[in-house]
Amino acid sequence: MNTQAHSIAELLHGKDNSPIRIYTLGQFKVYRDGAEISAKEWSRDKTLQLLQFLISNRSRSGIHKELIIDRLWDADSDRDFKVALHGIVKVLEPNRPARTESSYIIRNGLSYHINLSNIWIDIDHAEQLIIRANNIATTQPAESILLLRAATDLYTGTYLPNRLYEDWSSEERERMQILFLGAFTDLAQMIVSDQPMEAIRLAQSALQIDPTWEDAYRIQMEAYLYKGNRPMVIKTYQHCESILREEFGISPLPVTKSVLNNILAQ
Amino acid sequence: MATKSKQTASFMIRFNQNIYEEDGESQVQWRGKISHVQDGDAVSFADMNKAMDFIKEKLTIVTKNATDHKPDQEQEGLIDKSLDILKKVRSTGPKFLIDTLKDPKKQVTQIQDQIQDQISQVSHEISNKVEIDQWRAASKNDIKQVREEISTLTDLVLQLSKKMDALSK
Repeated sequence: MNTQAHSIAELLHGKDNSPIRIYTLGQFKVYRDGAEISAKEWSRDKTLQLLQFLISNRSRSGIHKELIIDRLWDADSDRDFKVALHGIVKVLEPNRPARTESSYIIRNGLSYHINLSNIWIDIDHAEQLIIRANNIATTQPAESILLLRAATDLYTGTYLPNRLYEDWSSEERERMQILFLGAFTDLAQMIVSDQPMEAIRLAQSALQIDPTWEDAYRIQMEAYLYKGNRPMVIKTYQHCESILREEFGISPLPVTKSVLNNILAQ
Repeated sequence: MATKSKQTASFMIRFNQNIYEEDGESQVQWRGKISHVQDGDAVSFADMNKAMDFIKEKLTIVTKNATDHKPDQEQEGLIDKSLDILKKVRSTGPKFLIDTLKDPKKQVTQIQDQIQDQISQVSHEISNKVEIDQWRAASKNDIKQVREEISTLTDLVLQLSKKMDALSK
């Protein structure tokens, strides 16, 4: 097995040994050594919120304490911050010896960040799968399909759904939505001729994220075309046309119209 | 007084570009979606005015909620003042966008000149004798304002660079 193939296999099947596994899509869940941490253990919502804030900002090398307090608390709440931080560390590392630094939340002066080297996060794994899939889409399409399938399987709903109305979570949520919209439609497009029904399912998943995503309607039309289901091609086009008119006041793109015209010409 | 979170309106705007051929001519179409984070409302738009109306509606609610205890006339005056920010954007924003799309190089040059002017001005001020006793420590608000201005400038330069890259391809 060559190195690249090995890394694909690792990405697909390699069991990650991180003691902490975090799921942010659909429902926020944290596993410590394979066991789910119960809501009771977190005790305070702000503890969870601080962890979710650090996850949302994990690409930054560190966030100043003042900035964190400013985003999560209304008033100057140094004590509340310390309590929430202590809560995270206590839950993630219940056996940490006293007066030792946390392995998961790294403090650098007055800045804090989450240490990703020991933590597995669903969105990071999905992103790695999608990046690799995109890189090999033309050279190794079969492997690319497997990677995209693994990535889309991880999508179980929107990012941090319980923080929909918190502005600090919206940037990452939007980034994930665009990432998954692309993954669903790319995968659907790649398999539409061989597995049209699965392509329809994937396109519908994209439309659940954004009902105006025209590519998804077009792929569904192509899939119905492969199935020989002419009425559904027309119905899907009409639905697409209606949504675009309602939302934007525009018509479908010429490429979408041409799929319909091909059917009507037959 | 309303809490900070109640005085905040955050918006997420998504633009999706479609380039296509029609009647032998290349066309570019932008489709947008703007979401108001605090209540989850969202609208799709192909015309920026629809997005601006959405922002106006949400900002009006924020000001209205924060001034509910004031007499009607005073409240109306404050709402009107609070929307001044949009009037300015409406009058200058579209021109800036159109100018940028027409001539991105010129816009980048202008922004670079503005940055250079600011740097020169700061250099000039630093080179003069500084009356230290007139200084005050930067407040959190000052730092936030500077951070926001730098962030806005960075975003603008990045957007224009991307446009230039796209044009040069």
